[in-house]
Parts: sequence; C-alpha cells; structure tokens
Amino acid sequence: MKKYLSIFNISFQQEFAYRINFIMWRVRNVLQIFLVFFLWDAVFKDPGRVVFGYNREGILTYVLGLIIVKSFVFSSKSMDVAGEISRGELSNYLVKPVSYFKYWITRDLSSKSLNLSFAFFETLFLFLILKPSFFIQTDPILLIFFLLSLILAFSLFSLLLFIVSAITFWMPEAGWGAHFLISIISVEFMSGALFPLDILPHFLQRIVNYTPFPYMVFFPMQVYLGKILDSAAVKGILISGLWILVLYFIMTLVWRKGLKVYEAYGR
Amino acid sequence: MDESSEKAILVEHLSKNFEVIEKKEGFLGSISSLVSAKKKVVRALKNASFSLREGELVGFIGPNGAGKTTALKVLSGLLYPTAGFVQVLGFDPWDKKPEFLKKIALVMGQKNQLWWDLPAQETFELNRAIYEIPKNKYKENLSELIELLQVRKLLNIQVRKLSLGQRMRLELVASLLHHPSVLFLDEPTIGLDVVAQQKIRDFIFDYNKRYKATIILTSHNMRDLIDLTKRIIVIDKGGIIFDGKLTDLVGEFAKEKIIKVYFSKEVDVRKLEGVGKLKRFDFPQAIISVPREASAVAAAELLQNFPIADLTIEEEAIEDIIRRVFRGEKIKKVRH
Repeated sequence: MKKYLSIFNISFQQEFAYRINFIMWRVRNVLQIFLVFFLWDAVFKDPGRVVFGYNREGILTYVLGLIIVKSFVFSSKSMDVAGEISRGELSNYLVKPVSYFKYWITRDLSSKSLNLSFAFFETLFLFLILKPSFFIQTDPILLIFFLLSLILAFSLFSLLLFIVSAITFWMPEAGWGAHFLISIISVEFMSGALFPLDILPHFLQRIVNYTPFPYMVFFPMQVYLGKILDSAAVKGILISGLWILVLYFIMTLVWRKGLKVYEAYGR
Repeated sequence: MDESSEKAILVEHLSKNFEVIEKKEGFLGSISSLVSAKKKVVRALKNASFSLREGELVGFIGPNGAGKTTALKVLSGLLYPTAGFVQVLGFDPWDKKPEFLKKIALVMGQKNQLWWDLPAQETFELNRAIYEIPKNKYKENLSELIELLQVRKLLNIQVRKLSLGQRMRLELVASLLHHPSVLFLDEPTIGLDVVAQQKIRDFIFDYNKRYKATIILTSHNMRDLIDLTKRIIVIDKGGIIFDGKLTDLVGEFAKEKIIKVYFSKEVDVRKLEGVGKLKRFDFPQAIISVPREASAVAAAELLQNFPIADLTIEEEAIEDIIRRVFRGEKIKKVRH
C-alpha cells in the first residue's frame, strides 16, 4: 500500500513538472464548457421546450455533468499502456516487485485527483458568472449512488483499456487502431457521452444496458439526475459490478497470455 | 545439498524462438503482407547451457544479434523460454516472485528508468517504496552508491538536463538501491566517453568484490571485458561456442601466431611478404602474422634469409580474438 502511495506522490509531482501543459489543458476544459453551454442555451431559448424528454435544465445539467463525468472516467494516463508495450518500456516494471495494473491505476487516481480539484474551482467560478439553471441533486442516497457509480465507471474503463491495450502484445503496431476502436465505438457512442442513450429505440436501449458501456457515463448521469431510482439504481450497480468481475477475469487471462509472447523489444 | 542450490544461475538446454512477420519491401509489398503475412521463426537461443557460481563475474560476448540480450531477458523473467530449464537463486524467473525481483537487477545501457522530467532523487524515492527498502538501509545504500559513482552533485538536477554519462551513473544508482545479489548488465558503457567508462568499470569491479554479487555483463567494449571478467561465454547464432577463462580464449581460437623480429640491417620489405602477413614494419622492427602450424617454419625461414638481431614468437593478442568474435567471423576451435 505504501508502495502505491509513493507512486501517487511522484506522479503528482510530475504533473507539476509540465506546468504549462497542465494549465493549457485546464483552459481547454473551461472553453469547452463555455461552448457547450452557449450551444445548448441557444437551442433551448424557449424555457418550455422539451426535446427527447429533456427540458432546458435537464439537458444543460446533462451536458455539463457529462464534461465532469467524462473527465473523471475517461481522462486516463493509462492510455499510454499500449505504447509502453510496443516500445518495450513495460520491461522496466516487469523486473520490479510492482503490479503494473495497480501502478497505472494509482497514476490515474493521482492525475484525476489533481484535475478534479481544479475542476471543482473552475466549475464554481463558471457557475457564478454564467448562473446556469443547473439541476442540483440533494438526495443523499442518490448522491452516494452517484459516487459509487463513478468509481465503478472508472474501474470498468480502466479494465477495458488494459484488455484492449494487450492487443499490442500480438500486434505491436496495432496499438493506435485498437484505441481508436475503443474510444470511438464504446466510449463515445455507446456510453452516452455523445448523446443521452434514452433517445435510442427501446429494444436497442435494452441491449445496450447489458453491455458494460452505459455504466461508464450514461448510468452515473441518470443516477445524478434522479431518473434512475432505488431498485433500478441498485440493479445498474450490480450489473456494472458483475462486468467488473468478468472484465477483471478476462484482463488477467489476456495479460498472462500476452506476457508469454512479449518480446521486450529494444535491441 | 543438491547441485542446483549451490549455483546462483543455472541454465540448461535453453531455447527461445521469436516469431517475426516478414514485411515485403515498398508500398505494394506492405499491402500484400497485410493479406498474406509470412511468419518466420527466429531462433534467438538454441540449446544453451551454462551456470554461474555465487559471486562470479562473467562476460557474455558475441556479434550483434547473437542472443546475449535475449539470454539476459530470460534470466530476469522478461521473456518466456521456448524450451529448457532456467533457475536464478533457486527461483524460476518467469514467476516474477517479489522475493526474486528484490534480489536481481537488469540494467540496460540503452533503456532508462529515471523519470525524465524530475530529478533522479525522486526516482530513487520511488524505488525505495517499490522495493520496500527500510529507511535506514536506504540511506546507507544511497550514500554508498553516491560515493562510489560520484554523483552527489547530480541528484537534484532534472534528468533531461544531464549528459549521457551522468545519467548512466544515476541509472546504476537507481537499479542498485535494493542491493541486488544478481546483476544483469547489458552494455553498461555504451555511448560513454573514456572517463565515464572507467568510472562505471571501477564501480562494477567494486560492487562485485564488496557484495559477492553474481554479475553477467555483455559488452562490445574490449576494456570492459579485459579489466573485469576472468571468465567469458561466447555466444554465436544463439549457441554457446566457448565457456572458459578469458586467457584460454586465445588458445582455443587463435588461428595465427605473431612473429616479432628486429633486423640488424636494412631489408627488402617485399621479400618479407613471402613469409607471412606483414602487419607492421617500422625499421628495425617488423611484425608478421603467420598460421599457427606454420610458425616454426616461418621463423626458420626468417633466420636463414634475413639479417636478424632478435626474434620472438607470440600468441595473437586477446583484443584481436575478441574483435573477431564481435565481427561474427567464423571462429573455430583449433586443435593443438
């Protein structure tokens, strides 16, 4: 445990070594929020308007919430895992008494905690100048469910990323393609990051609900908005928990096989 | 006690194959290999066997691509052997047990583990945590390594701002903080200037003596081998073709002998060519290399036909033999 605390620490410091980079990244986030806000604000000029069951307040909360949820779930340092495998840098970790998976999870948590603390103040600031009609969830049970679903969402995404990255063991040049596939298809489209999934036809929704994808963005958002209550929320959390177990099993299997064909490239 | 437990490193009939996809040349070639990829098996190690006692320092030499690095990677648990038996300190390296990993280190001259944007000190702290080194022990090891490698002034400088030689020394500190008892060094002096090379060499020598560490060293640097290793293992095309004392390498592989002569009077250089290969002529001295078996005849011929003041027959220099090994020149055992 202490091991990973140290990794957390040094990762945090490295983030600061790229100060300019970090600041620009935050500026980008703020600009993104501005853009999204003005776009949807214009679409829903008429306060009585309801599209796909979302009113002005609902959609604004969804898109702004999306930015926060996405930056917590998707913004991932471990995006580089495929690169580390193909460049042979994985070797550095394999010869040390450290778990590569836990190492990256720790680095992700470190980067997320830094980004989140900034995001908090930015959001506060934007709130004060834009004064949006934002839906604030006050039910403590739902808030707890929301937090829990966020943690599950992050775990799901990390596991998925590690499974996809493992393709690089067999196809060292395929890393980029694999990431494209996972980020476009699963992450953007099926997770609800592009649009709320409840605008899909019912039978599609039902199928998608049994995949791990909606639990990465859509589900946490719905919980926050209060659209998924009690038993449905519990069911969703159980399904994503089940997926975590399944994906963890697959990941261990794939990595065990992958390491056997790993060639530790570099000379 | 069975034999395997006395050996720090035991390798028996080790083979390692790689599968590579052959790419055809050019744009059309790339497309056609996309459809019908031709796989080729590269046999990086073929039935290699050797062992090291605790505290031994052995040099691995061979031409590029002979399998030296592959062997080190198998020994440190990075590569899964295709066939054969490997044991390091009683462990199967592939299991990557923490107790095993805490006792070894793999240092590659061309790979770095130091965090590029932070001072080396931070990577050291990280390794302290990863290897779970107690605080006191860490302080002790660190100050000792700093002393041996003379890097005190470099600790708080961003790694990206250091020279290659400085970085390499810090890499060594980072790799050795946990005091490994088995060390795999892959080209530790590559790309360094002569002074930096010497520092690294002195250090390796010291570390081996001080801690009875078992060390395997691969190097293309003649001085590394001659200064550090008594025993040499020569690998070529994945197989071991020599395993023994560095000094025996000459006896095994020297095809030629060197005749040194001092002339008492001027001689015709061209005539000397008839005796053997003239390597240097700098009156009054000439150095001629001749095939081993013909050395006596050549010496007699010289004494008969030239005004000789002095004549000696010497073995080929060890440097020349090693150089031939590096070039991948066919070296065959010579019968005496």
